[in-house]
Amino acid sequence: MTTSSLPPSVIATLPGGHYTDENIFALEQARVFESMWVCVVRAADLAKPGAFKTVQVGRESVLVTRARDNSIRAFLNVCRHRGARIKAEECGEVKRAFQCPYHAWTYDLEGKLIAAPNLTKMPDIDRVEYGLINVHVREWLGYVWVNLADDPTPFEEEVQGQVVERLGDLDSIHNYDVANLGLARRTVYDVKSNWKLIVENFMECYHCATIHPELTEVIPEFAEGLATQLSVGHGAEFGEDIEGFTVDGSAGADRIDGVSEDQNRRYYGLTVRPLVFINLVPDHVILHRMFPLAVDRTVVECDWLFRKDVVDSGRDLDSSIELFHRVNVQDFEACERTQLGMGSRAYARGGVLVPSEHHIGGFHEWVLDRLGTTLA
Amino acid sequence: MIPACALAALPRGEAFRLDTVEPPIAVFHTDDGELYAVDDTCTHQDASLADGWLEGCEVECPLHASRFDLRTGHADGPPAKLPVRTHGVVVEDGTVYVVPSDLPPNLPPGARARTV
Repeated sequence: MTTSSLPPSVIATLPGGHYTDENIFALEQARVFESMWVCVVRAADLAKPGAFKTVQVGRESVLVTRARDNSIRAFLNVCRHRGARIKAEECGEVKRAFQCPYHAWTYDLEGKLIAAPNLTKMPDIDRVEYGLINVHVREWLGYVWVNLADDPTPFEEEVQGQVVERLGDLDSIHNYDVANLGLARRTVYDVKSNWKLIVENFMECYHCATIHPELTEVIPEFAEGLATQLSVGHGAEFGEDIEGFTVDGSAGADRIDGVSEDQNRRYYGLTVRPLVFINLVPDHVILHRMFPLAVDRTVVECDWLFRKDVVDSGRDLDSSIELFHRVNVQDFEACERTQLGMGSRAYARGGVLVPSEHHIGGFHEWVLDRLGTTLA
Repeated sequence: MIPACALAALPRGEAFRLDTVEPPIAVFHTDDGELYAVDDTCTHQDASLADGWLEGCEVECPLHASRFDLRTGHADGPPAKLPVRTHGVVVEDGTVYVVPSDLPPNLPPGARARTV
């Protein structure tokens, strides 16, 4: 079957190989994850100078830390001497320097080489030139975003531009004061699925009535299968008898101060390509960060953020958190189930997108464009 | 007496590495305003103590974290075992001078040969 022979109601997906082919994944690592702004760490997780986290961005391990002046820095996690990984741990804290465990090359929190055995006998080794390699860093919404490109697209254009495209303006997200919310829960999901299946799933709601019974109870319009992301500024309204964005529709926590009347009792979902989802409801924000580790494996870190006073009060937030945790589990099971079919000859030419999913075709075009390829 | 640097060029908390002598000498200006001079080279491995971390009257080697007492030269613990030599410090007319010790230095294996 060729694209031209498809019935008019549907359009083609990507072929199955785009979800299983190591070479395509390698191209995505280089041209998507290592060339775009990626949200990697919650800034508050780096509480003080010397606190660090290591994250996988494309093929690179990146060391993210807070310097003496409290600014966030990020480096390729590779010693400039013989290439050993500086920090193997996922997180930790150094007192004042990063030291390679192999030959003890030692770098300060700004990445500058400050000591090494026999270094004083090699005055021609420039300590900045042979410092850790910096990557571009930006803090926004209380998160650290990094970009491994030499010359990144401006953050405003690439990241904030997508938010404006979805919500109409930046004020709409700043109303939620995301940077000053507190972390109530973090759940890490290890999903045996290609990252694109997770993005595509988040972009459509055709599956909602089938796999998300609790969510469609809270937001009845989701049962119609239309994606909330389709029209600019649209928030999906809570059901009439629903008191809050909770697993049983009971009242949620205190509303975030800046949330407007228009935004009250509504859910806004945003896809920030390539690897971030942001969900806004009146009393909390749910932020997903994806870390594609292999063509068929993606780790998703999901944070639930509420007002700091709500988190500090220790009140039970389980009914709020449980709703989207269930959605996550339901979605990721579906993605894993779909991944199983990607290598089948039944899907060699891909499947189809129904009208309420046609906008996913735009995502596919975007991916192909990033990779500099077209479908054969 | 060997001139090291201008006192004004050595703020508190900083070190100056005098490398016109062999082995080099590190002069420290502590947060309390005291001046001390010790051999710059850690006795465990060739590393510059002037690149280390000054805390009170101690300097921590930047490579393996042995701490040397600037008053006595003693190491607080492994991997360094031997003390660094201490030297006299004199300030005259705004210049810091070092009065070198006449004891033999305790240099690490790699650095020893170069001093001959």
